[in-house]
Amino acid sequence: MTLFDVVFSGNDTVCGLTEGAINDAIAKYGEDKAVAFPSTAYALPCYYGVTGTKVTNLGELKAALEVVKTLQTRNKRLHDVFMSGVATALEAEFIEALKYIDAEPYNPEVDGCVGHIGDDIVRSLGVPLVTGDIPGVAVILGKAPTADDAVALVKSYQTQGILVTLVGDVIDQLAEKGYKTGVGVRVIPLGKDVTSVVHVVSVAVRAALIFGNVTGGDAAALMKYTFERVPAFVNALGALNPIVVAAGAGAIALGFPVVTNDVETAAAVNIKVPKSLIVQPDVDKFNATSLEARDIKIKITNIDIPVAFASAFEGEIIRKGDMQVEFDGSRVDCLELVQMKDMSEVEDHKIEVIGPDIDEMPVGSKQQIAYVVEVAGKNMQADFEPVFERKFHAYMNCIEGIMHTGQRDMIRVRISKDAFAAGFRAKHIGEVLYAQIKNEFDAVVDRCAVKIYTNPEDCTKMRHEVAVPTFDKRDERLASMTDEAVDVYYSCIMCQAFSPSHVCVVTPERLGLCGAVSWFDAKATNQLDPAGPCQIITKEKCIDERIGEYEDVNEAVRKFSQGALEDVSLYSIMEKPMTSCGCFECICGIEPFTNGVCIANREYTGTTPLGMTFSELASMTGGGVQTPGFMGHGKHFIASKKFMKAEGGVARIVWLPKDLKEQVRDNLNKTAKELYGIDNFVDMIGDETITTDPEELMAILSENGHPALTMDPMM
Amino acid sequence: MPFNRKPQKFNTAINVVEIGTGDKAIKLGGASVFPFYTFDGPIGNTAKVGVEISDMGLEGEPAGVKAYYEGCTTMAEIAKKAAEMPGADFVSLKLEGGDPNGVNKSVEELIAVVKEVVDAIDAPLVIQGCKNAEKDGELLAKAAEACQGKNVLLMSAKEENYKAVGAAAGLAYNQKVGAESAVDINLAKQLNVVTTQLGVKAESIVMNVGTATVGYGYDYVISTLDRIRAAALTQADKMLQMPIITPVSSETWGVKEATADEADAPAGWGCVEKRGISMEVQTAAADLVSGSDAVILKHPASVAAIAKMIKELS
Repeated sequence: MTLFDVVFSGNDTVCGLTEGAINDAIAKYGEDKAVAFPSTAYALPCYYGVTGTKVTNLGELKAALEVVKTLQTRNKRLHDVFMSGVATALEAEFIEALKYIDAEPYNPEVDGCVGHIGDDIVRSLGVPLVTGDIPGVAVILGKAPTADDAVALVKSYQTQGILVTLVGDVIDQLAEKGYKTGVGVRVIPLGKDVTSVVHVVSVAVRAALIFGNVTGGDAAALMKYTFERVPAFVNALGALNPIVVAAGAGAIALGFPVVTNDVETAAAVNIKVPKSLIVQPDVDKFNATSLEARDIKIKITNIDIPVAFASAFEGEIIRKGDMQVEFDGSRVDCLELVQMKDMSEVEDHKIEVIGPDIDEMPVGSKQQIAYVVEVAGKNMQADFEPVFERKFHAYMNCIEGIMHTGQRDMIRVRISKDAFAAGFRAKHIGEVLYAQIKNEFDAVVDRCAVKIYTNPEDCTKMRHEVAVPTFDKRDERLASMTDEAVDVYYSCIMCQAFSPSHVCVVTPERLGLCGAVSWFDAKATNQLDPAGPCQIITKEKCIDERIGEYEDVNEAVRKFSQGALEDVSLYSIMEKPMTSCGCFECICGIEPFTNGVCIANREYTGTTPLGMTFSELASMTGGGVQTPGFMGHGKHFIASKKFMKAEGGVARIVWLPKDLKEQVRDNLNKTAKELYGIDNFVDMIGDETITTDPEELMAILSENGHPALTMDPMM
Repeated sequence: MPFNRKPQKFNTAINVVEIGTGDKAIKLGGASVFPFYTFDGPIGNTAKVGVEISDMGLEGEPAGVKAYYEGCTTMAEIAKKAAEMPGADFVSLKLEGGDPNGVNKSVEELIAVVKEVVDAIDAPLVIQGCKNAEKDGELLAKAAEACQGKNVLLMSAKEENYKAVGAAAGLAYNQKVGAESAVDINLAKQLNVVTTQLGVKAESIVMNVGTATVGYGYDYVISTLDRIRAAALTQADKMLQMPIITPVSSETWGVKEATADEADAPAGWGCVEKRGISMEVQTAAADLVSGSDAVILKHPASVAAIAKMIKELS
């Protein structure tokens, strides 16, 4: 038998049963007998949702069945399978509706089942569903291998806040174990017949009608809504019969994946519906498999560690005398690393400590540690690795009794005696990193695992064979990233709260002027928070390549500055320069005598050859205003090949404060060598230990043969 | 050179949002010109004035407010009297007693007040939360349920709780949602974007973009209102075309000009109540001319003054 045969035969069986039941009912009550579910304004909600017709009596129900039959096409295509599934669900609704004629078929007091769920409950459940307080809806049907398995599975969902609905023998299994069920505890036994599964489908359909403004009869909108907004999934336990498979096809049509443990049947019919029909022989793993299949992320509200975790502890200092143990990357091999892996390589929430734990280390000793966070996800990109990694510093410091400094393989971590006495061990580092990464980056991380190495050999090996090559590769990639190599730039308006018309255009070679937002950061921010401060800017319509002006960029700047700014260039300080907010790392201003520019960084308090200090220079620009000749920028931009490219590039730099000069020396020399073939360019540049007088500067520059002196005038 | 008047009229308009039901229902928004620029084009629905009452009753209210409500003992009576205030278009119930850091009334207790008030009046009702985002998430969702069919506006849907308030008010119970942000055009816009992504119709959203009392960092409020209205009209930004409502009295009656007794105040300040009214009127007038489509006040004298101003200017 193939999947088609199974679904079609299951559908045929249900259709036959429905037809028989309707005919029997008509024979007994007549065609005018009313058919309705209690407390709903949507008649038979599933049928109404799909067709827009409200069935009110048996005669109309019979007519409705004829409509449903038209869905039951028998071509061997997946579409036919899904439509037959939908037909099966609608027929199940008819069968269930018939039960309500002159009767109360379900009574939670007697048989423990709820049956049809009223509109009032749908509305009250709808709000937490929309807000994510109920992160998902599990539909468990069939019989678990043992009653204990059933309890464990239900409990696993319940503790995650997931709404559980039950159909079939699993209800008896829970009853046998005395497990509490009911709407109040969000474990709802629907009914023991397989057709009662339609009562949860009915909830999903009404959610679309009520919360999604979907009109009855708009089947496409309905399915889109349930697929995108109703995070439901099916766990089919035990042997699959054709009726269950047919109903399952209906679930899949609505966007709800089905997880089954019936390996044999699944194999026999060679069922292959990627991401929608999943065979998981191990009921223990149903929870993880289902959540991943439906893309449900559980917020971790409570990190399982013996000490507190709060930003209040971020600035905590741990003195030598108070520390239990220290991991010191300057003396031994230490590292922290995020690695992107394939989904199959990462087991979510697996935290391994490889090597001795903290209680096996001598008090006050220097030790090595390597903690590696492995992440996987459908939307994960290797470019996000360093973005996550940079957050480790904050995460680690938020732990009470832990102090963290540095990054990459230059970290130092101290654990206090108090934290150790409270029970803090190596694995808790893993718990914190796991919880924070999963919470903060849930948009891109589906699975996360942490490996903590404490053996010297492992740490040395991890450092030199894994971490350092990774860091090198990242640096290389960053260095090789050019504005030309990417298709889009990003806007950043994080500081518009106090600089209302400023917009940064962040490109690979020009990071945000605050120095904190690189192109990768902006990209990650955009993906994690699509309505947030970083938006994609295309760069398809170039106006002037020399100064880096694009029509698309101008449009974006106009939009994000609410019209305050008309056009900007990316590479010029004289023509339409990019604006500044007030938080720039450095400011650069033109020095008319030498035909060049002076740069001052925020930390530099002295004066410059322009006769102004950083603060005075800063007051020349800022507030989102274009001031030709002055420009705020990040430190890293100084060595960029795009630094005032329109005016000739870095060769224009005639003066830098000494500290800043040392910070940018290597990169700036490299850029000057590549652009102009000049060796040791930085040595030609003045600083405050040489002079802050413009005439003296002029003399020194000519002595050094500084290239700016022979360049075209800037003004 | 003769003065050549050039009308600033835009091919777009602020959304119209209706609050309340029946004859007393009000419409906010609709302008396609800057506030009160009657000479440029249609200004849409005239600005509206609301009267604020609190679940805490009349305790601590200025003498003039107490005098107005004299004889009222229940919330229903207070609400009716508020609805009758000359110049008032709607009533705004503030559930300040719910604040966990204050009196911390239970949600049930407050919902009973909401029901009492909504049943007592036929004027439109605007419900304000208790300022605590977490509690408001639950409280306002329940209030939306309790007011089914009354088309009320539930304020205080903030970044932290817009899902709960938005889903209940905007989706489950067909009320209007008041999106509240703190004096920042981008945050206001972002909140509108995410609220609409939730499924709430743009036409069901009213903004409270934050406020202050004149003289207390108020320039930020003006600039935010100005820029939002400018973006809505000049750039036709759909995500900023929601009408704006500004709660004024809850801010203005707390500043020292409105609270310092004549004995403690610097010489020449004069009667404390007059000062309070003055702060309320000045702030409300400035909010309205900067782009607010409705203001919430509480003193009868302020309500009368602002209602008169709107009438004269519209």
